Amino acid sequence: MNENSILLKMQDISKSFPGVLANDHVTIECEKGHVLGLLGENGAGKTTLMNILYGLYQPDQGKIFVDGKQVVINSPSEAINHGIGMVHQHFKLVDTLSVIENVILGIPTNKAVLDFGPAKKKLEKLCKEYELFVDPEEIVWRLPVGKQQWVEILKALYRDCKVLVLDEPTAVLTPSESDQLCRAIRKITEQGRSVVFISHKLREVIEITDKVTVIRDGKVIGTVNTKEATQSILAEMMVGRPVTIERKARPTVKEHSAVLVMKNVNAFDDRGVQALKDFNLTVHAGEIVGVAGVDGNGQRELSECITGLRKPSSGSITIQDKQVTNVIADPSFVGFIPEDRQKTGLVLDFTVAENLLIKDYKEKPYVKNGFLQYSEMKKHAEHMIKKYNIKSPSGDIKVKTLSGGNQQKVVIARELDAQPVLDVASHPTRGLDLGAVSNVHDILLNERNRGAAVLFISAELQEVMALSDRIVVLYSGQIMGELNGETADQFTIGQMMLGQTTEAKK
Amino acid sequence: MRTKQKIIKVPFIGDLIYSSGHTILGILLGIFTGGLLIAISGVNPFLAYASMFRGAFNSLQSFSNVLVRSSPLLLGGIGVAIGIKSGVWNTGIEGYMYIGAIGATIVAIPELGLPPIIHILLCFIVAMLFAGLWGAIPGYLRAYKGVNEVTATIMLSYVAIYFTNWIVSGSPLAQEGAYFPMSLPFAESSLLSILMKGTSLHPGPFIGLLMCIIFHIILKYTPFGFRTRMLGYNPFAAQYAGINSKKQIVMTMVIGAMLGGLGGAIEVLGLKHRLYMEFVTGVGYESVAVALVAGGEPIGVMLSALFFSILKVGGATMSIETGVSSSMASIIIALCVLFVIGVGVADSKRLKKRDEKDPGKKTLSFKMEEAVK
Ligand SMILES: Nc1ncnc2c1ncn2[C@@H]1O[C@H](COP(=O)(O)OP(=O)(O)OP(=O)(O)O)[C@@H](O)[C@H]1O
Ligand SMILES: [Mg+2]
Repeated sequence: MNENSILLKMQDISKSFPGVLANDHVTIECEKGHVLGLLGENGAGKTTLMNILYGLYQPDQGKIFVDGKQVVINSPSEAINHGIGMVHQHFKLVDTLSVIENVILGIPTNKAVLDFGPAKKKLEKLCKEYELFVDPEEIVWRLPVGKQQWVEILKALYRDCKVLVLDEPTAVLTPSESDQLCRAIRKITEQGRSVVFISHKLREVIEITDKVTVIRDGKVIGTVNTKEATQSILAEMMVGRPVTIERKARPTVKEHSAVLVMKNVNAFDDRGVQALKDFNLTVHAGEIVGVAGVDGNGQRELSECITGLRKPSSGSITIQDKQVTNVIADPSFVGFIPEDRQKTGLVLDFTVAENLLIKDYKEKPYVKNGFLQYSEMKKHAEHMIKKYNIKSPSGDIKVKTLSGGNQQKVVIARELDAQPVLDVASHPTRGLDLGAVSNVHDILLNERNRGAAVLFISAELQEVMALSDRIVVLYSGQIMGELNGETADQFTIGQMMLGQTTEAKK
Repeated sequence: MRTKQKIIKVPFIGDLIYSSGHTILGILLGIFTGGLLIAISGVNPFLAYASMFRGAFNSLQSFSNVLVRSSPLLLGGIGVAIGIKSGVWNTGIEGYMYIGAIGATIVAIPELGLPPIIHILLCFIVAMLFAGLWGAIPGYLRAYKGVNEVTATIMLSYVAIYFTNWIVSGSPLAQEGAYFPMSLPFAESSLLSILMKGTSLHPGPFIGLLMCIIFHIILKYTPFGFRTRMLGYNPFAAQYAGINSKKQIVMTMVIGAMLGGLGGAIEVLGLKHRLYMEFVTGVGYESVAVALVAGGEPIGVMLSALFFSILKVGGATMSIETGVSSSMASIIIALCVLFVIGVGVADSKRLKKRDEKDPGKKTLSFKMEEAVK
């Protein structure tokens, strides 16, 4: 291979955190105009490696070469100067600023008064070039997640990067948005730039990358040419055993009373747009109802109304005949995995132990004589870390130092361990590796078999089909149709997701 | 050979050192820059600080002045600090002090024939009740109506000040024909005892220090504190976890107000023995600075409140002896606030790196490298 064509090389990188060796002599290479996929289980060290490249962490050892020259990167601004751009696993945008303000934020300027004119022109040009359209004037929090992702990418491109790192960019994207991203990535590489692409979705990895490096426990397991790889090869390299997401046999559950009953529910989203329209749904004990649909069609409002976080404007919601009026924060009644773990599900500055108990902190063993029992909380954390396979050196560390997928596992552990009557799982597998996805499926299936009512909201069609007894398709705040989980076919669901059933029926 | 880190924790001292780190650094930088300013004004800063130090410590009396001066700052400081912990700026301490003092005055003036301890407790309770109700107003407005609490509390402080003016000049409680607006004198049994002959040292500062420790424990080790911190760190998660954030906000503001009210009551019962017009000018606002320098930590409040009162008491001596402007003490206070905030910003970058190295950072940890086979 011609050495000159290698745009990025990270050689023999090691990085340890207390109790964890996050990167262990890792070497990766990416050629000019290529896409390198990084695959690995949760906590394998992918984000850490990229944070090193972006100057957020200093490696304990190892060298970085950009364009054949060795570079030392001490901070993100140095990384940007070396032509490295990064889209982080969790959004780093300032919610209350506009798109254009976010894009130019942090770019040094020698003007006293900011002139947005040229910046806006440049941004609009980029939008057109990569077909990632956003309105520069819009305030970021008003944008749907997908658009926010575009802003992150445009922000990196605006800084004219040679190497673009995308850390799980598709976790929050709809399938069609993911396709759009793939097209943009192709355009980026055509210009001789390189992309490092991290994802747990093997299909995408195979579609978009040229080479894939698989990392396990901080070590490189191997690098393969994507052409020669299949999903199952990659899965096996990643997890060390074959894993597939498929429908598993399930017993019928005798207990079949209605647990969640929603009648004519109307609700509005934060922007004041109607998000649920005369919504009716019943979920019974011992069944998994999958809610399929493109994200942003009322999924978030649905889950929030059920758990009392959002007040419906009209209609009634009952759980075991009890009207939902206030926030339900009793995990032994309703377990709720919210869609945005960092914003809603976790207190990042709390420890793992505290986060596992943000709902139950005032219950028996954790409070004695009015005082919190940190030793009991710690014991509980240690137990949960083992039981749910959370990669964390102890319960005492802040949850924000865990890898993205392991943060998600903390939420899952907290919400599902208490055996609730109703599970509301909103994108529970987002950001999880294949093995962990299959574990979560097992957990949810066990919940169902135990007799819990499970509402499974997901944008992953394959997962919905693998897991659900019944599938409802949500479109524009309404249920487009209901299908049997055993017999549903992808095409019909896909049609309904685009809102086409009603016309077809008419 | 692998090495395993063994961490021995000393919770309380660890907490103390950790939570005081920023405070101490900010104070040192403030002193240093203050020194530069003193030098610029043509005075040898070493001499000036020496004179300040003497002013604060040369006699038991001056040291007791420092303590007495710190009493309202300690109580007001924690009042603001617990607000900061839960994410609200409870800046109305000045007003709470007046309202608390009014409450105390109402029950302190009449001879009730109670033993002193009971009479004093009654004064404290009424003071806290009054101030608590007063604090419930901005608390309610903030939590349920979305009114900015800084504006609301400061506005209400003015109302409290003018209300006090009326009490001491036009109400039945006012002393008639006084040279300065003041209330009738308090009954003997309501006055705080002097702890040291020849000084004005009353139990107030010790009550304040005790409250700092109590609130440190409450914040760290009780469910109420857990809720408060959760709300401050992530209000969305707090709501999700079922915390009634509105109620919690009202509660922290009311508690802050009660502490401020207690501070005001102690001032009049311990020091003034009557209610005067404008008896705490600016102390309430200094409490906000105290809490800021303390980084919202009750333990830090102990340090910064004592430091501020050293500055205030010693600053007077410094100004008399060396001719440095008497406002230098306030300037140094302001510098400390700025530096603590600045240190906080600079430190958040460093902390990120240290987080990687030492997850047990909130506890003072002695690490012993222990060889493991
Ligand atoms: N700042 C930190 N302090 C302590 N440990 C950390 C820190 N950052 C990462 N780690 C640890 O390093 C390991 C690797 O984490 P990393 O975030 O790189 O995983 P990842 O491969 O990106 O996983 P995921 O797919 O879940 O995002 C994890 O065990 C994590 O707990
Ligand atoms: Mg990651």
